[in-house]
Amino acid sequence: MRKLSVRTKWPVMIIMAVLLTIPVAAHGAIQGATGTTFNLTAVAGHISTADGNSIYMWGYGLNGVMQYPGPTLIVDQGASVTVNLTNSLSVPVSIVFPGQSGVSAVGGVPGLLAQEAPPNSGTVSYTFTASQPGTYLYYSGSQPELQIEMGLVGALIVRPTINPTTQAYNHADSQFSREYLFLLSEMDPTIHENVEAGMMGLVDFTRYFPVYWFINGRAAPDTMSSANAPWLPTQPYNCMPMMHPGDRVLMRMIGAGRDMHPFHTHGNHHKIIARDGRLLSSSVGAGADLGEFAFTTTVVPGSTADAIFTWTGEKLGWDLYGHTGPNGEIGAACTAAGMPMEPGEYEADHCKPFPVILPGQLELTFGQFYSGSPFLGAMGSLPPGEGGFNPNGGFFFMWHSHAEKEITNFDIFPGGMLSMMLIEHPNVMLMNP
Amino acid sequence: MRPRRMILMMVLPLLVITFPALPASAAINVQCPGDTDGDAVWAAPEAQPGNTVCIHLTAGDGFVTMADGKLQYMFGFSDVTGTPPHMVMDRGMLAANFAAPTIKVKEGQNVYLSLSNVGMIIRPDLFDPHTVHWHGFPNAASIFDGEPMASISVNMNATLTYYYQAPDPGTYMYHCHVEATEHMQMGMLGNLYVTAAQDDLPNGTPLNHNGSTFVHTTGNKYVYNDGDGSTYYDVDFPIQIHAFDSNFHDLHLDVQPLPFAMMKDNYPMLNGRGYPDTVNPNPLTPPMENMEKVSQAVSSLVTTNADRKVLLRISSLSTIDFFTLTVLGIPMKVVGKDAKLLRSSTGQNLYYTTNSVTLGGGESADVILDTTGVAPGTYFLYTTNLNNLSNNTEDYGGMMTEIVIN
Repeated sequence: MRKLSVRTKWPVMIIMAVLLTIPVAAHGAIQGATGTTFNLTAVAGHISTADGNSIYMWGYGLNGVMQYPGPTLIVDQGASVTVNLTNSLSVPVSIVFPGQSGVSAVGGVPGLLAQEAPPNSGTVSYTFTASQPGTYLYYSGSQPELQIEMGLVGALIVRPTINPTTQAYNHADSQFSREYLFLLSEMDPTIHENVEAGMMGLVDFTRYFPVYWFINGRAAPDTMSSANAPWLPTQPYNCMPMMHPGDRVLMRMIGAGRDMHPFHTHGNHHKIIARDGRLLSSSVGAGADLGEFAFTTTVVPGSTADAIFTWTGEKLGWDLYGHTGPNGEIGAACTAAGMPMEPGEYEADHCKPFPVILPGQLELTFGQFYSGSPFLGAMGSLPPGEGGFNPNGGFFFMWHSHAEKEITNFDIFPGGMLSMMLIEHPNVMLMNP
Repeated sequence: MRPRRMILMMVLPLLVITFPALPASAAINVQCPGDTDGDAVWAAPEAQPGNTVCIHLTAGDGFVTMADGKLQYMFGFSDVTGTPPHMVMDRGMLAANFAAPTIKVKEGQNVYLSLSNVGMIIRPDLFDPHTVHWHGFPNAASIFDGEPMASISVNMNATLTYYYQAPDPGTYMYHCHVEATEHMQMGMLGNLYVTAAQDDLPNGTPLNHNGSTFVHTTGNKYVYNDGDGSTYYDVDFPIQIHAFDSNFHDLHLDVQPLPFAMMKDNYPMLNGRGYPDTVNPNPLTPPMENMEKVSQAVSSLVTTNADRKVLLRISSLSTIDFFTLTVLGIPMKVVGKDAKLLRSSTGQNLYYTTNSVTLGGGESADVILDTTGVAPGTYFLYTTNLNNLSNNTEDYGGMMTEIVIN
């Protein structure tokens, strides 16, 4: 029943995911800032939540514009990385880089965890060598319990020396065809209201009670809008994973808040190949031999996990493309007719008929992401006004926090820590990102 | 409480009188190969095709009783396999079970799972569809995944037959995915597991993975197709973690807006019961509010003889919190996680022995308790999130059960 109230919001998604995105033939890449020197400003601003709320934030921004999360810093292994921080806030701010060693600071004033940029235009500069590839995060080391909640957190990706655009680490076990970021966080708006009102004395973490949950700084369905959507000027990053059957999708998962989140991938298992920027290796050079399969991964605060997700549709027991012979033959007659296979199709299921009869349209409720057909790349009839978000007949799978409370936006379902992953027919070009 | 109960007592007879008058059975349409009378079982002259299993579930509402005696309104599933179509509505209405009926199938079986939506008798203002989501199904197709935004869900008085070629062995779980936060908090959660094909090897088959000298004997059971007998077990018990927020359920019954943001569980449970109900080996006495239909049939009592390997198939469908379970006095050997054998890509077993397992919603673990040398007696399986050893305000309850070694 409740979904009716948010249905009006979902059309935004189709426009974004399907029409406005920029087709790129190359692998799906993670949006972010590249280079060796990054000029960040700690600055205040607001973000939007999908229920229409506007929340006061502190964030790291490029060019002085607040964004949540901070820019994803993408650097090369071995690079000497410099991050210059200018503080526009009225409290001291800093950055710590968990997982990086030998971080040195120039300027600023000493703080408890890191050298800090003093309030009101103070500066500090950090330098480190990105010695190990992998997925990391960075966040404020100044009153972090408040400042990370306020938004001073971001992702750091170190690309490996070997095949930096197609591997996460210097081993083929980390090879990927597309990669996506899953920076997970939660939020208690009461904290933000008090900070915005300048009533710091009312900020009380003993009553911390999050009611918003985010992937890459957006609450669903905004997660599925395009990156850099103009109506989300301070939330540039989306989360709209797409793939073809057989692709290897790299998931870079980051716990960027204070709670653990059980992140579930519908469609198939994923295989954790690395944690906190280190391959799960039994010995040097062994690759991800200690990798762990999971259908739900606990994403831990301050920690990262890299996983490879694949999907082939094999062993369904029916032909997922719905092949029939030229005269509608199914089963052996279809096989005998020599219907060609799709790329990577599971041969044993080729031409196997669909196993059941689907009920009539009046007996079903149809999802907005349903094509009307059970087959990949096919469309079927739908009642007027139903479906519509799946123009190529892809398979959508919800990827979400399985703490189901967290797929809401402050009392409104659905939303929060949720996105839809899309598997398209091999002949359909994927949009990016 | 009392006025609500009076209303129920007045409404229920009306509903019972009204519903059989509806053209109810038309859309109870079970698809089950070889079954010609629509009851999802085979009776001569019907012939069961090889390697095929049929299950018929209904989805609707009902009532359960918490361990402190509190009545809870809920949504849930009920097993009507074997029920003639014209009797499904009658059997399925108000028959929601918590935990949902356990689904156990063999690897490679063709599973035809029919779901009939019998409606919400206590909330006739709702028209919610339902689904079955086989959580963790590998290489799933959207059509049978039960996630309603990406596929189809079943309206009231309709039946959808899901088909699965039962994939890899292991401990999965199932739940309704429609308005998931609500329907899952309301109780549409159950155990689901797939037993390994290795169980059915010919007697005397050697299992030589990594130099093992293990020889399979007919009757042996294994959690996975391990190739070395290392996941052998004698007896298995599904243990599902979940919890209710009684405020959420009460507001639902009172037709009030639902508190998603304020959701906070106060009845932690295993298999739909709080301690000490968890150790009752029998179905709990059903409440009169659901026409005395059995609604809590899954016991969590683990009984075994000494010198046995006991497999706990632990899963969590908690909608809010992570929970840690411990077994006092018996080491816990974890051999599987999320329906996958713990094994390195080079074939090394990565099993580990521990005394606690932590699971968030949607996670599972296969834990073997080796009772060899363990003194007969009663041992406890309970959450170390200690505030959850309670049934709301009643202490000495909640997420705990007993392991009795004879």
